[in-house]
Amino acid sequence: MHTDFFLYICVICVYLCPILERVAMKVQSKNFIPAARIAINDVDLQTAVATGTDSAFTKRQAAMYAVSQEHGQTLRQQAAAIKRYALNNLPELLEQAEANMQANGIQVLWAADAAEANRHVLEIAQRHDVRSVVKSKSMVTEEVGLNHALEAASIDVLETDLGEYIVQLGGETPSHIVAPIVHKTKDSIRDLLIAKADMPPTDDVNEMTRFARKTLRQKFLAADMGVSGGNFILAETGSIGLVMNEGNGRMVTSLPRVHVALVGIEKMVPTVADYALLTQVLPRSATGQQLAVYTHLVNGPRQPGETDGPEHVYVILVDNGRSQIYNTDYAEALACIRCGACLNGCPVYQVAGGHAYGWVYSGPIGAVLTPLFTGLENASPLPHASTLCGMCKQVCPVDIDIPRMLLDLRHELVQRGQSDAVWNVGMKAWAFGNRSPGRFVFGGKVAAKATNLLKPKSLPGPLGGWTRYRATPKFAPKSFHQLWRERQGRDDNEQS
Amino acid sequence: MSSRDQILGKLREAKRPFPTISPPAVHQAVVPLSDTSPAALQARFVQEAEKVACVVHQVDRAAAAIAVILQIVGQDTAVSSWDAAYIPLPGFADALDKANIRRVGQDADVRVGITGVDAALATTGSLVVLSGNGRFRASSLLPPVHIAVLTASQIVPDLESWWVAQKTAGLAQTRQHSNIAIITGPSRTADIAMQLVLGMHGPRELHLVLL
Repeated sequence: MHTDFFLYICVICVYLCPILERVAMKVQSKNFIPAARIAINDVDLQTAVATGTDSAFTKRQAAMYAVSQEHGQTLRQQAAAIKRYALNNLPELLEQAEANMQANGIQVLWAADAAEANRHVLEIAQRHDVRSVVKSKSMVTEEVGLNHALEAASIDVLETDLGEYIVQLGGETPSHIVAPIVHKTKDSIRDLLIAKADMPPTDDVNEMTRFARKTLRQKFLAADMGVSGGNFILAETGSIGLVMNEGNGRMVTSLPRVHVALVGIEKMVPTVADYALLTQVLPRSATGQQLAVYTHLVNGPRQPGETDGPEHVYVILVDNGRSQIYNTDYAEALACIRCGACLNGCPVYQVAGGHAYGWVYSGPIGAVLTPLFTGLENASPLPHASTLCGMCKQVCPVDIDIPRMLLDLRHELVQRGQSDAVWNVGMKAWAFGNRSPGRFVFGGKVAAKATNLLKPKSLPGPLGGWTRYRATPKFAPKSFHQLWRERQGRDDNEQS
Repeated sequence: MSSRDQILGKLREAKRPFPTISPPAVHQAVVPLSDTSPAALQARFVQEAEKVACVVHQVDRAAAAIAVILQIVGQDTAVSSWDAAYIPLPGFADALDKANIRRVGQDADVRVGITGVDAALATTGSLVVLSGNGRFRASSLLPPVHIAVLTASQIVPDLESWWVAQKTAGLAQTRQHSNIAIITGPSRTADIAMQLVLGMHGPRELHLVLL
């Protein structure tokens, strides 16, 4: 009775006070540069991230193009078309999915923002007298800060994906969309399990995994409610599609009395044929598997005669800024299927790691999503956290033009006067010098004379950043224009 | 205004982002298959299943299948098993009874789970397992060892063709199963230093008894 009352108070508190959510989803993207500098000097992180991203990237290339380059490209084009067509018809698909889910016995709730999503979960927990929650991996629950909301209501919440479990033990956040602890070495994971989970000392990964299996199994069997995300919602059948390797998602959606899935509104897939393609392209692109070990569909609560499966299934359709992004030139970013391929292929992610990006989504897609979700002013370094090499677009299974969006975001930063002051002056000077042929030629001559006479070891002022790790460029004594003119004169003479 | 109406309203008011894009007229097979004869499907299924660490036991008689199952169960006195009606193996229930092996539904502590399958997918070596009355989810999930019994006639080319068949039969029927699990090999993780470990949460061993 007391705990009931306490829970009730907590629900009211969360209802009235969205501060809890703001704490949970604190954005630290402004610190990208210092955070990345720390990561670059972290030897363990560098080793772990290099191994992880390299392995995933190689496996991906082999799987996507197993048949042929053309076949892999056709798969990408079709996956891209399916996601874009679905986005174009999003309101209709949402209504169709809702009707079909309801017909299957799933209760559908809508959440405009993070606070409402958490409120729905807490109300469901209260309705079904829930004391403990087991979770499978879900980025959207990270986004809304669900764990904090549950903990604030004194409900036990346990992450059950091995990587997420270790993230939770360490009080960290995931650093990769697919591999949450890609930044950690085996040794640091071992030490954490020994210190925080009383694991008997061992250096063997098999034994560490067995220990986690045993510990988490007890929690699964005792939990009242399972919380999952959703990789896809099939509008045609009203099913929640999940993709996983460990099997924890099957347990989360099968063992507890109540299952709640939090799913972004952009996850709609029109037909089962579309789903069959996407659910195979996702693991290929993420880990290089043909299919994930468990390609899982939840159609609804347990049916009459069934003795296992949840009695109640809820889906919470989360907006939290998506409908806003939908109405911009960045709508393409909503096509992302969260495979992580752009992270694995990105030269910036590979050295900076995921945490430097300062919010839930990292890597190239995170550099687009974070400013869109949290405000450009709160994530202004991220559009610059890219070399624009184009690898992210090239490996994206749904062909999202990330470099284009990063450039557009940079453009917006300049327009809003939020770009770096030194950078602005530099660009203005560069533009001034390049706008007239006279100034351009003069500038070239000065640079050539100066670098050839003074032979500087580094460039002065803010240009010094360029020469800290590179040889100082030396201008040619004669410019191309000059050589061309001389050459033409000679050619003319020879002809005449 | 409810959040539902608010969200849908905002989406409707927005400019549609991709008005010129149409969905694929014909979906590209993710793994094209030229030979779909029963023998080729079976050979491919076995090859792919073994690639994802399944142990495949190809047997030609029910008695041989039962012998394989009893050998895996060993000295255990109970297994988590589907109702015999859903396991395509005549004499299965009798054989277990005779060996004094109890068949339980979803006991979390047994070592071996035994199920049938709804279909098997050749190009990926996968099992399609539908939940239902007497078809416990737990049997293919909780025990460290899972034995799936199937016949060669259950092998279809791929995930795409399985869905086509479902659609032909009527998706309403598919939706009656509260859960569809498409299983490709034993449970695995590579979260710790990219090192592959089998049996993270689900089974560590997946035996396919193929008749």
